[in-house]
Amino acid sequence: MSQFVHGLMRFRRGPWEMLASVLIAIGVVMLMQPVVLWAYTYSFIVTLTGTVMFIVVSHFPD
Amino acid sequence: MSDTPIDRVAKATPPSVASKIRGLSDRAIAWLFVLPTIFLLLAVNIFPLIWTINLSFTNFRANRPNREVDYIGLRNYERILTDEDIWLTMQATAHFLFWTIFFQVLIGFTLAWLINRKFKGNDLWTTLIVLPMMLSPAVVGNFWTFLYQPQIGLFNYGISFLTGIDPSSFQMIGDVTLAPWSIVIVDTWMWTPFVMLICLAGLRSIPDYIYEAAEIDRASQWRQFWTITIPMVLPFLMLAVLFRGIENFKMFDLVVQLTGGGPGSITELTSINLKREAFEKWRTGYASAYAIILFVTVFGLASIYVKALNKVKER
Amino acid sequence: MSSYSITEPSSLQKWLAGTLVVAYAVITLLPLVWILTTGFKSPVDAIAYPPKILFEPSLEGYVNLFTTRTRVAPETLEALPPPATWYEEVVRNRDMVIAGPSRYGERFLNSVIIGFGSTFLSVFLGTLAAYAFSRFKVPLKDDLLFFILSTRMMPPIAVAIPIFLMFRTLGLSDTHLGMILLYTAVNISLAVWLLKGFMDEIPREYEEAALIDGYTRFQAFYKVVLPQAATGIASTAIFCLIFSWNEYAFAVLLTSGTAQTAPPFIPTIIGVGGQDWPAVAAGATLFLVPVMVFTILLRKHLLRGITFGAVRK
Repeated sequence: MSQFVHGLMRFRRGPWEMLASVLIAIGVVMLMQPVVLWAYTYSFIVTLTGTVMFIVVSHFPD
Repeated sequence: MSDTPIDRVAKATPPSVASKIRGLSDRAIAWLFVLPTIFLLLAVNIFPLIWTINLSFTNFRANRPNREVDYIGLRNYERILTDEDIWLTMQATAHFLFWTIFFQVLIGFTLAWLINRKFKGNDLWTTLIVLPMMLSPAVVGNFWTFLYQPQIGLFNYGISFLTGIDPSSFQMIGDVTLAPWSIVIVDTWMWTPFVMLICLAGLRSIPDYIYEAAEIDRASQWRQFWTITIPMVLPFLMLAVLFRGIENFKMFDLVVQLTGGGPGSITELTSINLKREAFEKWRTGYASAYAIILFVTVFGLASIYVKALNKVKER
Repeated sequence: MSSYSITEPSSLQKWLAGTLVVAYAVITLLPLVWILTTGFKSPVDAIAYPPKILFEPSLEGYVNLFTTRTRVAPETLEALPPPATWYEEVVRNRDMVIAGPSRYGERFLNSVIIGFGSTFLSVFLGTLAAYAFSRFKVPLKDDLLFFILSTRMMPPIAVAIPIFLMFRTLGLSDTHLGMILLYTAVNISLAVWLLKGFMDEIPREYEEAALIDGYTRFQAFYKVVLPQAATGIASTAIFCLIFSWNEYAFAVLLTSGTAQTAPPFIPTIIGVGGQDWPAVAAGATLFLVPVMVFTILLRKHLLRGITFGAVRK
């Protein structure tokens, strides 16, 4: 866990990609969950943020 | 590897000479070879994508091209993301997605594990099992409506043969509670082989010596399964799940032929709903915003997929 | 390999596994067998209850698939000269006469033209691009490869909205050329990824030796690399062909007449009171069997094809 935080702080690709993937996954779940409408409403912003983030951080050094 | 004359020359060539000969024009060749592909994709994918983004901020209707087009900002997005009917189609998609992946992984992995017992003739049976997934989903979906007919359909007859229920007492496609399962069944029938093939590759990538070492340590079969087999197959399984997830998120052909979204809109998956908005109601601007939302979702999932792909490649 | 290995399953295990797999295979193939047999049933047998496993084979489904027929009054029928061909006789037995050929032949031909056209183009372009990606330093290589792959993942309906408008403006709607270009764009991603995998496996030393022998880079490419990649190119071509052959969403939205392929057409085959199942099954059989044959030919490369070359077995 501390290694993960360390990687984030030094802008390493691995942990940041993981973070972006998690964000995308959360967005997709929010989009299709049957429970709360506002989660559906804001799902797109979350997925978009995750996707843009993924494109950016995949250029960080390994 | 065979030792052809070319090989021998190759081995005798110092790398610096080789790189000198390749020289400058390589760069030109590289571009010459890549550009046609990039150009085609720009014309058929990127340009339309930009056009879609632009349209998504308008109230354009493709069936009235001469009407004045207004830019309405984020209104389309706002309307889609607060529309409870579209939310319902997302939930229908989620139901379809979840259960197809669940059954395909369960059955696919079991089959792969059984095939990996290396019984005689396993290659032949694997090839036969794979057949359904290579066929045209629309044609297959259409024919399944015949198999699902009450009374005369093979599916209903099979169920009644096994359980004794009257075959004309239930309608897989016409019934509100059964229809969502009817599409799950056909998709599972069609795509289980896909998951099976990938799991099989995963199982075959585990070297024997790992099991041999575990055997020496007297680890039980059960323990070996959970501590060796599952973790080693997991990256492959991830790959299969992500790919099936993306494919079924955008599912159209099979389901539109099978149920057409009915009864009511119980099986109206997102793509079918989008088709109605875009090509039946002709709300092009609105449908473009809808399309962009799907694009971004698929694009996000695809980037995770490529990451998983590279992980498997390293093995 | 030693004759006894502790990881080798016991013969009981093998027998059990074999039985279960064969049982699954039989169940999963039943719908396919049903398509094949329904094509040879008479319309009455096709909708019999309980479903008929044994039946008298009939070619009526195939005759109905290729013809359009009109019902005539019995008097008119008797006045006609006796049927000249066996298929006319089949139709006459139902109190009908043949009015002309159906659209199935045309649609099938469209599938062939569009399928082969787009396969040729995507394999041609894909081979060039794959070679460049495999051998040269292309700037932003990983991004380009990801971009190429991601185009295949896009939902067809979402892509179809701007394509529809673009084709309408350019006059490409419902033309063979339009569909070929579209399918090429979809297939090229698979072609590039698969072929890059195959080319990566060809040792670079081969070309470098050829270059030393005085070949130009281009000669080295088509005299040394291409023959080595032949199997890979062939299996890539089959994968592209299967995709264009099976595609439905673009076909149903962007074609209606001249360039319509078989998948949107087959479900519209109707007879008296709903779909004419023997004819649908006959159409489906003719359409699906080539793909089944290809699948069997491809079995060694199947896994590669469905994972964009990542899993090589």
